[in-house]
Amino acid sequence: MEFTLLWAALTGVAGLWIGVRLWAGEQSDSLFDNLLLAAGVGLLGGRVTAMLAQGLNPVSNIGDLLIVRGGVSTAAAAIFAVGALFLTTGRQIKVLDAAAPAALLGLAGWHLGCLWRSACLGTASNLPWAWSEAGSSITRHPVEIYAAVGMLVGAILVSRLPEQLAMWSGAALSLAAGVRLATEPFRLSLTGGPVGWYTAGVGVGVAVVVVSVVGGRNRRPT
Amino acid sequence: MKRLLPVLAFFVAACGSPALVGQELPDLPPITGQELDVAVQTSGKPSVVNVWASWCNPCRSEAPLLTAAQAEFGEQVDFIGVDVQDNQADAKNFISEFGLDFTQYFDRDRSVPEFYGGFGTPITFFFDRTGALVDTHLGVIDERALALGIDEIVNR
Repeated sequence: MEFTLLWAALTGVAGLWIGVRLWAGEQSDSLFDNLLLAAGVGLLGGRVTAMLAQGLNPVSNIGDLLIVRGGVSTAAAAIFAVGALFLTTGRQIKVLDAAAPAALLGLAGWHLGCLWRSACLGTASNLPWAWSEAGSSITRHPVEIYAAVGMLVGAILVSRLPEQLAMWSGAALSLAAGVRLATEPFRLSLTGGPVGWYTAGVGVGVAVVVVSVVGGRNRRPT
Repeated sequence: MKRLLPVLAFFVAACGSPALVGQELPDLPPITGQELDVAVQTSGKPSVVNVWASWCNPCRSEAPLLTAAQAEFGEQVDFIGVDVQDNQADAKNFISEFGLDFTQYFDRDRSVPEFYGGFGTPITFFFDRTGALVDTHLGVIDERALALGIDEIVNR
């Protein structure tokens, strides 16, 4: 049963690998390893945070760390993953830039992995492309497919931006958070989703892009 | 040493024995698969039946979700817990620890999952308002799957 999650994770890793090959240039070999490590650290950090939020002690319930279906905090996972990548790659923003479109493609793969898990559907809809659960007459938004397409388009857009320090990182952060924010109303949820975190992600990403543009102008020779 | 103090404090807090909070609860009433089937057919509301046990680690992970779901949909949906292959004292401690504020039954012999055809623990069954079984989720259920299951039985 948990194998469906593994297949979804592998689809994400495949996206990451393709993204690194496409956009990371000569850094691609070591960067892929560092990205995998960062993803693992992010998953662990996100799971621990979710357990603490649910009132579960991660030390006395250490086996529960493996039960990722119990919940993973998206915001914490992102912070831990970016932090781990930054620390393991010599604290260089240009490495984060190189990884940014690949990370978006990895996220696209993860969302597309909903097909393995039968977990693509969200709120009810009568749109022509809506589909239903097996045995159900209620058609629904394929919300995870929307997110996968959004992340894919985001990866391509980021890779077309000028290669300016922190530009790709900021744009990727705002696009990833923006895609999740835009698709959240179509998701079924018990808690409403971490909309505040997504909004903060968009804001921080845009701010980084603005700083990058201003910094780039100031550095240009007169 | 100063750097180690927060870590030590965390471990000491984590190793503290859990409070014995379940002892004032009454024993869970026993139930069989047939009795539960009659209950979900006559309730007039959709039902979510969660099969759990205090010794089941994955059940601990999904318990907070069920509490949140009951708080959100408790007026539209009947939430029912069925504790299997367990003892009353551990079951009551589990219910208190996670604040499971919905109907709970005791099923030492796994009569309920055998009646509906589920294996392993945990299991979550979704019934529509006529009592027809709509979906069976084997293993730990995540937030999206629980929300989707509830949306299906509420809107049928």
